Amino acid sequence: MARALRVRVDHTRCVGNAMCTTIAPGVFKLNDDRQSEAISPVGEPEEIILKAAENCPVSAIRVEDAATGERLF
Amino acid sequence: MATTIHDDLFAPDVIADPYGYFGRLRAEDPVHWNARYEVWVLTRYDDIVWLIRHPELFSSEVFKRDPRPAYPPIPEADVEMYGFVREFFADFFIQHDRPSHTEMRMVTHSYFTPRAMEAWRPMVRAAIKDLLDDAEAKGQMDVMQDFATPLPVLVIARMLGLPEQDRRFIRELAQKLLFIGRGDLNRMRPLTDGINGLVDYLSPLIKERLAHPGDDLLSVLASGETRGAFSRDEVVANAVLLLLAGHETTINLICNGTLALIRHPEQWALLQESPALAGSATEECLRYDPPVKSLQRIAADDVELRGNVLRKLDRARWFIPSANRDPAKFPEPDRFDITRDPNPHVAFGSGIHHCLGATLARVEGQEAFSALIDRFPALHLTTEELEYQPSITFRSLKALPVTWN
Repeated sequence: MARALRVRVDHTRCVGNAMCTTIAPGVFKLNDDRQSEAISPVGEPEEIILKAAENCPVSAIRVEDAATGERLF
Repeated sequence: MATTIHDDLFAPDVIADPYGYFGRLRAEDPVHWNARYEVWVLTRYDDIVWLIRHPELFSSEVFKRDPRPAYPPIPEADVEMYGFVREFFADFFIQHDRPSHTEMRMVTHSYFTPRAMEAWRPMVRAAIKDLLDDAEAKGQMDVMQDFATPLPVLVIARMLGLPEQDRRFIRELAQKLLFIGRGDLNRMRPLTDGINGLVDYLSPLIKERLAHPGDDLLSVLASGETRGAFSRDEVVANAVLLLLAGHETTINLICNGTLALIRHPEQWALLQESPALAGSATEECLRYDPPVKSLQRIAADDVELRGNVLRKLDRARWFIPSANRDPAKFPEPDRFDITRDPNPHVAFGSGIHHCLGATLARVEGQEAFSALIDRFPALHLTTEELEYQPSITFRSLKALPVTWN
């Protein structure tokens, strides 16, 4: 079974580029300010979530192992 | 409030000091109808971020959809050339809306991630060292010609996998395309020549990359044709865009930033003492005197903003220097402070069109400022008579002569 993740978007950095919502629409959604919010850490496979984090142009997405706190991105 | 502010965006005082002119608009008439150029001029930070984060209301398909004639005007005889120029620029992915914009941007987006660009830092640093070695031998330099101009061409040409010996040729052609943001009456001829020259140069290289793909950026771009995101014409146009966009913008970042640091000796000294501030210093340079002055959208529908109705197909132009000095967003906005934090400037725009090359520009800026301060601690201007290109798109110095003796 896939490990549980914790996914966060730093709103002091997010510019609403929306690459994360394109790559991982099951996890990220734009709010009324057009910034990204992590709505569900189980909405996509881990590799897709990591790909979304890597493609954030302002490094606003942080992904951790929920059990250990290990930073995965 | 009735405003008596003139509408000549190319007037010498506006070109010399956009902060005064657009600052006054921001305070007195933040959504201003410029009757002379038939364009809405937006100057407040919050309005600008709202506009660029609502691409469904404000289209980026400016060259395709703008029903109004060229501004400033061009000679009647050049209207046909303008049609050609518009059609060519309309293929740039930045001139597309969703969904095609997303498809096109995805082709090269992953090439420019922060992690991927960090891997280019040693190459950027080495290129800077070579250029400054040459300058040092001469004892003085024009930061514009001798440093800021060759650096981004060298970097982007290497990423694209273009031969070293073509650099001067590429730069000469790219120079002609910069006329798009300038008001020159006869700008259509150099624009057309620049496009034709770059298309002739790049087309065979792209054909070659499609047959034998490598790991260079031109191969990545060409792969967009294989996966159906681009037509061949669009691959060629977007190769021109990558050459051009990483060019004038980075030149301006380096020149404007160097000038700001020279004019604030206490900030120069601070960066000298604390090299780890290179990151936040570069952000402050981007905020304080940004490389790009303004960009345009076209209203996709009737939109109300601050009591004004922007009609469908109206032009809306947003001015970055004004947003970056908005006192409602930045405390002491006219103060140059390399430790400023947070610094949510919009030098790279925002939203789905946020600059593709932002991280590369940041790396180049950080390395350039660090190297200048490290090697030439006594850097100073050799003239106070500085002039800017008459552009509303770019904030471009014509020259920045310095010495360090």
